[in-house]
Amino acid sequence: MKKIIIFGLLVSSFIAKSQENLLNLLGDDNEPMYISYLFKGTKVVNGQSVELPSKGVLQFTIQHRFGTLNSGFYNLYGLDNSQVRLGFDYGIKDYLSVGIGRSSAIKKIDMNSKFRIKRQIKEGFPFTVVMNSAIYIKQWQSADAQLEAFLFTNQLSFTNQLLVARKINRDLTIQFSPTMVHYNLVEKSVETHDKYSVGVGGRYKITKRLSLNSEYFYQLTDKKNNNALSFGFDIETGGHVFQLHLSNSSAMIAPEFITKTNGNWLDGDIYFGFNISRVFTITK
Amino acid sequence: MKALKIIKIFLLLIICHSVSAQKYISKEGTISFFSDAPLEDISAINKSVSAVYDFESNDLVFSLFITDFVFPKSLMQEHFNENYLESDLYPKSTFIGKVISLNNDVASVKGDLTIHGVTNRINVIGSLIKKDKVRISADFKVQLEDYNIAIPKIVMYKIAEEIEIKVEVELKEIK
Repeated sequence: MKKIIIFGLLVSSFIAKSQENLLNLLGDDNEPMYISYLFKGTKVVNGQSVELPSKGVLQFTIQHRFGTLNSGFYNLYGLDNSQVRLGFDYGIKDYLSVGIGRSSAIKKIDMNSKFRIKRQIKEGFPFTVVMNSAIYIKQWQSADAQLEAFLFTNQLSFTNQLLVARKINRDLTIQFSPTMVHYNLVEKSVETHDKYSVGVGGRYKITKRLSLNSEYFYQLTDKKNNNALSFGFDIETGGHVFQLHLSNSSAMIAPEFITKTNGNWLDGDIYFGFNISRVFTITK
Repeated sequence: MKALKIIKIFLLLIICHSVSAQKYISKEGTISFFSDAPLEDISAINKSVSAVYDFESNDLVFSLFITDFVFPKSLMQEHFNENYLESDLYPKSTFIGKVISLNNDVASVKGDLTIHGVTNRINVIGSLIKKDKVRISADFKVQLEDYNIAIPKIVMYKIAEEIEIKVEVELKEIK
């Protein structure tokens, strides 16, 4: 009797095994598993993240920056003084996107492209690597163009950065952003045209729809002011992403917040800002 | 002792037998799902579903990667992977079952469906047509709460609690 039971058990366990063998037959465990969604948005706070809009997706972003929190009740703690950047980003391919935007206060038009070189793979390549290149054009008035010293090329500046990010676990992502900012025209002749810096940023998911982001740009060369330190919350509500942040820079484009940050956190020169982004699926 | 030996031999025989049995395989099966929602219908399709059918033992297994589901909108796909199915934790969904009856190409299949790390025993009636290839198609419904998939109170796409699933697979014989 005992033997029959043992035999029965063996057979039944064997049957379960045979099905597992069938699963093994599929052999689909060898495919690389790409790690996705390292950040909620295409920006960490002010700087670019390794995320791109998906192919065929147009992302419209409205960015607002107010004055400093220490500017007193007369200025409603900075809210009276606002500047805006409107931006569009479009995913041509899943690994390639282009963007255009304009910042109000400094009157600069920016255009950028992001190209994803490598993706993080589970138990494989450890980083997602993206190249970001941008050009900035300072607008001018016709009177400026009359001047003899006026050169179109002098209105240009550039940013090139390599964005290297790793999703350490499902909540935490860390990004390093070695950056080179180039100005065609600098203020003093002794200034260098190329300014190197490295950004360190990250996001921590507090809940499924809320994350805390932070970012710091350390200037390696030609530092004349403060380094930009920013904190932000990403709040996702279905189709929109709201980003609320605090920073010692009021700028929204890389050359400005990396090399021209004058605010000091300890003095209360803290700028409140928010971004709203909305995605539209243009093509499938 | 002798009896054990016999059993061993018998088991070996079964194994040998099952290896030589007629098996059918597919790696390009299609599973799609659809959810009726007042604001926006939600649908997705996965065209890389793996399936194996063992004609002798009637074993039938399916396996797919959650990230292979393609949505018409990439944001939906992100929410599906990140918030609902948590594909980083539960990358695969599997069905391990048996064809318990087959009459006039109508098959009754019983087995364990695993989604989002939760396994439930399900019963599905579908069609199984066996010629030189095996065609399997079925429609069935799953309840999200059976698989521990939380629906938030406030979301843009009011997600139905019941999801319709459509299976369409053509399997070729393993030679």
